[in-house]
Amino acid sequence: MSIDDATEPHAEPGVASAEKGLVMLDGPDGVAVTMTAEAAAATGRSLIVAAGVAQAQLSASGDAPL
Amino acid sequence: MFTERFLRNRRGVSLDAVERARIETAVSEVKTYPARTIMARAGEPLGQSTLLVEGIMSRYLDDRRGLRQLVAIHIPGDFLDLHAYPLEVLDHDVATLTPATVATVPHAELDRIADEMPELTRKLWFATLLDAAIHRAWLFRLGRLDAVGRVAHFLCETNSRLFSAGLSDGRRFALPLTQADIAEICGLTTVHVNRVVRVLREEGLCLFRSSLVEIADPAGLAARAQFNPAYLYIEDPDNILPSTKRPNR
Repeated sequence: MSIDDATEPHAEPGVASAEKGLVMLDGPDGVAVTMTAEAAAATGRSLIVAAGVAQAQLSASGDAPL
Repeated sequence: MFTERFLRNRRGVSLDAVERARIETAVSEVKTYPARTIMARAGEPLGQSTLLVEGIMSRYLDDRRGLRQLVAIHIPGDFLDLHAYPLEVLDHDVATLTPATVATVPHAELDRIADEMPELTRKLWFATLLDAAIHRAWLFRLGRLDAVGRVAHFLCETNSRLFSAGLSDGRRFALPLTQADIAEICGLTTVHVNRVVRVLREEGLCLFRSSLVEIADPAGLAARAQFNPAYLYIEDPDNILPSTKRPNR
């Protein structure tokens, strides 16, 4: 791994799982978060919206991701 | 002896008998405190430093909601607020996690040691630099590792430190911390730590139960943690860092 890789965007998704009524998000790398079900659902919706906007930005510019 | 575990098995800085006796005579008081006792608060002027003889202590910072992040733990043999000697105040709180026995060394005595014994002074300096090396590893742990990796790294590090102090056989050691303590060390929730402990057990790497840690697969746990003990400067022929021992002058 090059010295710059740690600052690059992650191409691997995190993995979410549920336990004891809570949602845990593990990875990529240093991500380790526990959320309530409501917070996790809201985060998921926000991520999907942002992902759609990011894909539209790429399509408009014709650029590869930064 | 209060200094029995101080810098034990650390490369190039083990105390000789004269140095050990000098620190022993510098101790002004030995006291035992209950678990969860605040020993020093951020900003308070300090006129002494503390050598931990028995028990586990922590350094911590609270966020604005009062939630605690442990930024260091200390085990027997650690001279845990030697930083306060030059700084005169600490920028964090210090507390016991378990019942703890501490030996107090007044800063006036450290002044005299600095005047009289430069090699011992260098060893005290080494102890604070070792704390800094451990802080760097804790930054790496929180910044780069996932939940399982963080807990695995903490357990590998603690095993190595306790082994150096003569309190682990290399695979098995007492760790009277709660899962909430581990959570505050690793930046996780207690539920997350609970799951990680189960994952480590199911993967055959490590068992943490009833304040006892048993590492079933040291190499596997170290790999999961991306743990390399070189930063602990333990006397070990497999340690990859060059010797810290200086030639006699």
